[in-house]
Amino acid sequence: MRTGISELASRLRKREISAVELTKTYINNIEKLNPTLNAYVHLTFDIALKAAEQADRMIKEDDAPLLCGIPMALKDNICTDGLPTTCCSKILDGFKPYYDATAWEKLKARGAVLLGKTNMDEFAMGSTSETSCYGAPLNPINTAYVTGGSSGGSAAVVCADLAVYSLGSDTGGSIRQPASFCGVVGLKPTYGAVSRYGLIAYGSSLDQIGPLTTSVKDAAIVFDAIKGGDKRDQTSVDHDYGASLAECLDRDVKGMRIGVAEEFFDGINPEIKSKIMEAVALFEKNGAIIENIRLPALKIALPVYYIIACAEASSNLGRYDGIRYGHRASSYTSIEDMIMKTRSEGFGDEVKRRIMLGTYVLSSGYYDAYYKKACLIREEINREFDAVFEKCDALIAPTAPNTAFPLNYKGASPVEIYLSDICTVPVNIAGIPAISVPCGEDSRGLPIGMQIIGNKFDEATVLQIANFYEQNSGIKAGVYEGGARA
Amino acid sequence: MAVTKTEIEKLARLAKLSFSDEELERFTAEFDAIIAFADTINQSIEGGTEQIRSVGARMVPFEALRPDEVAPSLPNDKILSNVEGYNGFFSVERSKK
Repeated sequence: MRTGISELASRLRKREISAVELTKTYINNIEKLNPTLNAYVHLTFDIALKAAEQADRMIKEDDAPLLCGIPMALKDNICTDGLPTTCCSKILDGFKPYYDATAWEKLKARGAVLLGKTNMDEFAMGSTSETSCYGAPLNPINTAYVTGGSSGGSAAVVCADLAVYSLGSDTGGSIRQPASFCGVVGLKPTYGAVSRYGLIAYGSSLDQIGPLTTSVKDAAIVFDAIKGGDKRDQTSVDHDYGASLAECLDRDVKGMRIGVAEEFFDGINPEIKSKIMEAVALFEKNGAIIENIRLPALKIALPVYYIIACAEASSNLGRYDGIRYGHRASSYTSIEDMIMKTRSEGFGDEVKRRIMLGTYVLSSGYYDAYYKKACLIREEINREFDAVFEKCDALIAPTAPNTAFPLNYKGASPVEIYLSDICTVPVNIAGIPAISVPCGEDSRGLPIGMQIIGNKFDEATVLQIANFYEQNSGIKAGVYEGGARA
Repeated sequence: MAVTKTEIEKLARLAKLSFSDEELERFTAEFDAIIAFADTINQSIEGGTEQIRSVGARMVPFEALRPDEVAPSLPNDKILSNVEGYNGFFSVERSKK
């Protein structure tokens, strides 16, 4: 099993290793594997080594937080002052933000060592990371398969030990699904639990930053560090979680009420269903009360999600006009022509599709039939989840209906790819927290992920159940230790 | 409902995107499937969509809003540091002769 944050922090404090030595080890791993995996798109080794030197000084002075000196990575849509942040889109080519995202600011203040920015679907729009303008990252478990998306690079760097942990963002499953495909842990916190300031917007009412790690405890440690209200994000909430969540993980599931909704299992690969049901049996054997519940509105959660997310995206991406940052068309006949050419050259096909769908559902004559209706059904989905959490502490579901797709999966149309988000989008629609934890592998050796879904701001229960499963199932993160397989 | 090329062209103008003829053909076909997918929002759900009621926009009470106070901001030169060739103006190609 991979060394976790707590143990690395302990070794740093005992001077068994220095932060600079640890960082150099990771840089060597990256230099060896990243040319194959394409998991990082911007490397920040000079800054990492300076941060590591500073971390060593802080540790020497006995004044170091747990994350001090720990090498990590950020998704390329999280703003980093003076460092490239492109959302893996040509339209943001060369863009260097002039401020730090709050989540990164908090980690930096704790002495985090940033190794680089990770590959992702362009503007986080995709489920395979293949829409990146830098080409797809490869799944370290088997490089013939995708990492999932959109935080595919963030999952791959953790899986291949090219970072101790990473941050991703999750609008419709973009942390949990790649975590599932790469066999690592991915936490999507409650909407508002982590500031979105400096996260380049896709669907603002759905986006949330969260950690990808090799253990539930590490996910709790990172979440502890990045959570909290922020006056620069009016949708963030300064919720009182009480003690550190990482220190409250040890809880028995005895007497816990765990819900299983059949709607999450419609059309699921039988191998995945079987693994999830084995996990449910484990909880039951250990004293959890399993409740069979219904969430009928989940049947239409997918179109609700795509209508709302694309409507918000069409508005959010209106700012890319080639004037203030990024790519600009080189020849044009008017300002209008410049903007249209810049956007047409700068955005990839999937981003264009989503901007067009968003424009369509917000346009005159279609607004009521699509966008307004989607917002009303969103309320119904919220009510259904509220009712479920009246009688359940958490829900168990698959993270995805399938394991990783083969690279360049030609058979998949855009809509077929959208359908693969069926298990994750309801969580974003309702703004509730969920974690994906490794739950075994399929007959091809590809990781399967299990989702544990909780009530708003009840990350504690989600993490406790996940930790119980991790400790008692014998299944650890499917991390690949030996370098990418050809 | 089939989406026509004319509708796609209108949407593209609204979205400030332009497509070549070949792209337009492809997008029209793909968009048809995407709209069919979005239309599944109209399928009935158990318990009936008639249960779904308008809750209206969740308005923030006026008194809950913070006062609008001017606070220090980032300096202009920093904010405009990504503008190529910025010299007090945004330079673009001459478009009127």
